[in-house]
Amino acid sequence: MEFSFGASATKIITTTGFSSLGGGDAIMLLVACVLLYLAIWKKFEPLLLLPMGFGCLLANIPMSMMQSTDSGGLLNFFYQGVKHEILPPLVFMGVGALTDFGPLLANPATLLLGAAAQIGVYFTLVGAVYLGFNMHEASAIGIIGGADGPTSIFIASKLAPHLLAPIAVAAYSYMSLVPLIQPPIMKFLTTEKERKIKMEQLQPISQTVKIVFPVVVTIVCCLMLPGVTPLLGMLMLGNLFRESGVTARLHETAETHLINIVTILLALAVGSSMTADSFLRIETLKIIVLGLLAFSIATAGGVLFGKIMCKMTGGRVNPLIGSAGVSAVPMAARVSQKVGSDADSSNFLLMHAMGPNVAGVIGSAVAAGVFISLFGDTVPEPHAAIADVIGTVEPGAKAAIAQVVEALQH
Amino acid sequence: MEVSISAAVNVSVLAMAVIFAVLVILIFTIQLLVKLMPYKAPPPAPPRRKTAASASSEDDHVAAITATLAMHMGKSPSDFRIVNISQR
Repeated sequence: MEFSFGASATKIITTTGFSSLGGGDAIMLLVACVLLYLAIWKKFEPLLLLPMGFGCLLANIPMSMMQSTDSGGLLNFFYQGVKHEILPPLVFMGVGALTDFGPLLANPATLLLGAAAQIGVYFTLVGAVYLGFNMHEASAIGIIGGADGPTSIFIASKLAPHLLAPIAVAAYSYMSLVPLIQPPIMKFLTTEKERKIKMEQLQPISQTVKIVFPVVVTIVCCLMLPGVTPLLGMLMLGNLFRESGVTARLHETAETHLINIVTILLALAVGSSMTADSFLRIETLKIIVLGLLAFSIATAGGVLFGKIMCKMTGGRVNPLIGSAGVSAVPMAARVSQKVGSDADSSNFLLMHAMGPNVAGVIGSAVAAGVFISLFGDTVPEPHAAIADVIGTVEPGAKAAIAQVVEALQH
Repeated sequence: MEVSISAAVNVSVLAMAVIFAVLVILIFTIQLLVKLMPYKAPPPAPPRRKTAASASSEDDHVAAITATLAMHMGKSPSDFRIVNISQR
């Protein structure tokens, strides 16, 4: 094989990324740099936005084979974890291992605040339909109001995979902006007197209740909404690792190494789906606006329900803890504490706000379960591995395997 | 469009009702659990008598506090002496 200098130089030039760099790719590289800037210098959810921004950077380098759709590429393999709903439930396992449900168990009525805050999800659903999205897309956009990143990714990958990138970016960006978005709404909806309400100390909870709770939640919620089992089941498994006291190693792994590794894979996979084709669209702007609406309405819904609980209990509930019902653990609870202590420096609401905060996690998972029940496929597609096997066998055997798969699904 | 919006409103109302129903069931379940398995405070630990071991432990505390104070004040540990540690 002969090489001439001119032909070799031409070949090298045509195989550089510059030769294929389009305007869309350049804009997306800029978007990636903005995400990295926000993560590193503005500290906006850096654990997520940094790998997500870098995934976006890698995906938009032409001919790098790093887009989520590049079959055989590195990030395509990571993306299978999102596509087949593996990574978000594993993040939930880590979240469960990190979560203390004690404040919720001590004051179970705060579960209602977690439910009330889901109003943001449904206001946004209606808004999204009004802006022209179909019901599947609107559901995936609405769940941004649940303020739960893994849940947003889980629902988007199931109901509207083509909108995954803007939904994930909006969800995590607004979660990092909770300290800026929530306080004005909380102050607008409450009086100075309400903000100064001091709540009674929480009663202690027996360890047995803490152990039984994740099992009971799994049975009750997953029987009612089976579609949410991957998320809620893993959340509760992680929590059982924590509370049982007999799986210290698993608990430690779930709350540290596992959640960190999965977060890297998940964020890179989501970043790899941020291509010019999927991101530089008018729908992305609509999703950004709807996401803000979702967070604001969810906060307002929680605070207003907190006011109702305040009236019904004769002023024993501080309405500020209602805003923590949007999930975004533990940031939203810290915001309740901050706004409460601004009104009265001797007011400590943090532990009281943790109740609705973790209730918000359960509430948003239940909201996701409702969407899956209404719009999700009740019978999932065969797993990719099975599909690959089917694709390599003889036609007769293929039909037999297809019958077995169908029988298993039914 | 109107049909879609009315469908979205219907879905929203139904979904909120389901969420409240599920979480209210959970509230009652938790209340039942707490009632069936009440918290029992652990018995108070018996007061410890001062033994050789606890004296040794106190020496460790004195050493740690002395080192920390010396670093904080920029002095040598031999320049001052802790004479009493009282429990609050």
